[in-house]
Amino acid sequence: MAVVGIDLGTTNSVVATVRDGQVVVVPNTQEGYLHPSVVSFSPEGLKYFSTDAVARRILDPKNTVYSAKRLIGLRFRSDEVQKALVRLPYELNEGNNEQAVFIGPDRTYTIPEISGLLLGYLRQCAELFLSESVSAAVITVPASFNDSQRRATMDAGRIAGLDVLRVLNEPTAAALAYGLGQNMSQRIAVYDFGGGTFDITILQVENDVFEVLATGGDTFLGGDDMDSALLNILAELFNAEHGIDPRGDQATRSRLLVAAEQVKRHLSDFPEARGDLKNIALGSSGEALALRFHIARSVFETAIRGLVGRTIQTCQDVLASAQLAPSQIDEVIMVGGTTRVPLVRAEVEKYFGRPPRTDLNPDEVVAWGAAIQAENLANAGESLPSRAVLLDVTPRALGIAVTGGFAERIIDRNVPVPVEQTRIFSTSSDNQASVRIQVCQGESRRFDENVPLGELELTDLQPARRGEVSIEVTFKVDTNGILRVRARDGATGAAREAAVNVRGAMSEYEVAEAAERQKSEEASNLPEVPEA
Amino acid sequence: MARMSTEQLAAFVRQVFPRLDQLSYYELLGVPSGSDQAAVRTAFYRLAADLHPDRYHTLADRGLKEQLEMIYARICEGYRVLTTPDKRAAYERALNQGKKRLTTTDRESRGPQNPEDSLKHPEAKKFFRMGMICLGRKDWKGAVMNFNFAHSFEPAAALIAQKLGEAQAALGKPGGAGGTPPKTH
Ligand SMILES: Nc1ncnc2c1ncn2[C@@H]1O[C@H](COP(=O)(O)OP(=O)(O)OP(=O)(O)O)[C@@H](O)[C@H]1O
Ligand SMILES: [Mg+2]
Repeated sequence: MAVVGIDLGTTNSVVATVRDGQVVVVPNTQEGYLHPSVVSFSPEGLKYFSTDAVARRILDPKNTVYSAKRLIGLRFRSDEVQKALVRLPYELNEGNNEQAVFIGPDRTYTIPEISGLLLGYLRQCAELFLSESVSAAVITVPASFNDSQRRATMDAGRIAGLDVLRVLNEPTAAALAYGLGQNMSQRIAVYDFGGGTFDITILQVENDVFEVLATGGDTFLGGDDMDSALLNILAELFNAEHGIDPRGDQATRSRLLVAAEQVKRHLSDFPEARGDLKNIALGSSGEALALRFHIARSVFETAIRGLVGRTIQTCQDVLASAQLAPSQIDEVIMVGGTTRVPLVRAEVEKYFGRPPRTDLNPDEVVAWGAAIQAENLANAGESLPSRAVLLDVTPRALGIAVTGGFAERIIDRNVPVPVEQTRIFSTSSDNQASVRIQVCQGESRRFDENVPLGELELTDLQPARRGEVSIEVTFKVDTNGILRVRARDGATGAAREAAVNVRGAMSEYEVAEAAERQKSEEASNLPEVPEA
Repeated sequence: MARMSTEQLAAFVRQVFPRLDQLSYYELLGVPSGSDQAAVRTAFYRLAADLHPDRYHTLADRGLKEQLEMIYARICEGYRVLTTPDKRAAYERALNQGKKRLTTTDRESRGPQNPEDSLKHPEAKKFFRMGMICLGRKDWKGAVMNFNFAHSFEPAAALIAQKLGEAQAALGKPGGAGGTPPKTH
């Protein structure tokens, strides 16, 4: 029975495990180690995964789901989902409990179900490659993921039939993989620029203890944005030559996006990119028009300078919150495919005043760390050579709504977990029978400006004058960064615990049901054996 | 730094857990009261290496695990207070008053919302309140009745409809509502 570490990425996922003290990465069905995070559906209900599904982004964009990580754990009506909707060619709708659901050809799928399908596929790849069953996993998430995003990721793991040992922050995993700070005290910055998200995390590492000092990021900033910038450059070139904007047609757009990504990669290694894309549009007399391009790296760099600048700004903010100057950082670790862009490396080096570490593969380093941590957890009772302890913090402040539209903070941001805090509130009207405790995540004083997480109710309060009943609200965040809320009626002393009904999430029952369904479907839909 | 065995962890819990509320953060972390931040951090890291929940992730004894986690959470709290200058100053004052833990015992002036406040009709408010009382007592039948009355006075209120739905769902299921959230339509 093996345990694995999974970097469930926006664009690519990586699975790794520890074998005889060595990290091994599970290969994909082609030549690499990255499993594209794509699931595609045929009208007959057949599913294509990862490498087999990538081409279907162009062939059948409506039924091919990618970037699910941009949607997971978010309410359909959240700004993030609404923003993503505009860019995604597949259809989403609002489902049960305010969730975003994908409208598939056979039925609707919740986002944890989509990610669960992918995780199930990754589990099977690992099982075939390792020739043993995989029961448990550590799954990584961006440090900036909030409570509901973490829960939803765990739900996805459970749907895939995995015992999720831990949702681990990606930067912490990367630092662990580098094995830093073994005999000394070091401050490390992990700069993670992936396909869809950017994260910067500052860690203090000392004698195998990894403490997150501060973390921040942008869930809407990544290599995808660079692709879009290049897509625009390509489209403008075509438009200038033929007077037609090829972005209007969804299929052409998808094709151009794929080309843009290839051009981007090429420009990481070469000063210019040339190419010829046939059949982009039809001319006035029905002839097929091609897009010939020649793009210099400097043109690309001008287009993405703003994006890179935003990451540096975030670095500044996070360092400031930890009251640190860039010169106080001993090492900078680069994570994520987008850190291969030369401008990114140059700007990071300029800001921190030192060349960043790139010696471990930036695409795999997170999965490495996850695999090490999975091994640590699964063998917690035994003596292992690696004794790393990961001390994480709350990514955002947590609070509740109080009268007047305000948010009252209960747990601060960047507090080490596990943590438990209680605050005492009063009733706001005479003979109040119940209170409604709305939970939110974020730093704003106004409730509306924070992310709503869910709510719970305390009923059956003793009749009393306003302000006479005290209500104790206790927040508890566990080592997975997941919140539990308890409310107690101080007047009767009766402890009343209520579960938070998390908005935008699947219910326990739905998760269990989805897990059952996936298990039975998997049996009849095995992936191809990766060439070991 | 040898890892603690299960027996050692159990002995540690027996010793510390019953006195948890009587130990100051300094005592809990094992540092003298004048210690600077670096010393507090070193002490905390040493403790975390043994007491972080990941260390006993596979521990079968649930009760022991929970108590260890509570001790560890308190150690984290102490670490944070002692390494945050303004919190530490507040803690010194609290210690002088004989308190071992920095907690706010003050009651906030503002309270969480009263769900009734979003309702306009006084009769709707009244029946809604009675419905909520029934819900609290798991009297689903009474809850449905009262929410129905409330609904008739203020049909546009989404909150009433939601609660009515919850009560109906609970009533439909013998044995109680349990964890299934209401269907929202
Ligand atoms: N050589 C390269 N040059 C530039 N960009 C690259 C290169 N290789 C990969 N990328 C980009 O890296 C991104 C994928 O990175 P990665 O696999 O780290 O992301 P991810 O982990 O899936 O995303 P996230 O961390 O946001 O969840 C893509 O945008 C891809 O185009
Ligand atoms: Mg990543």
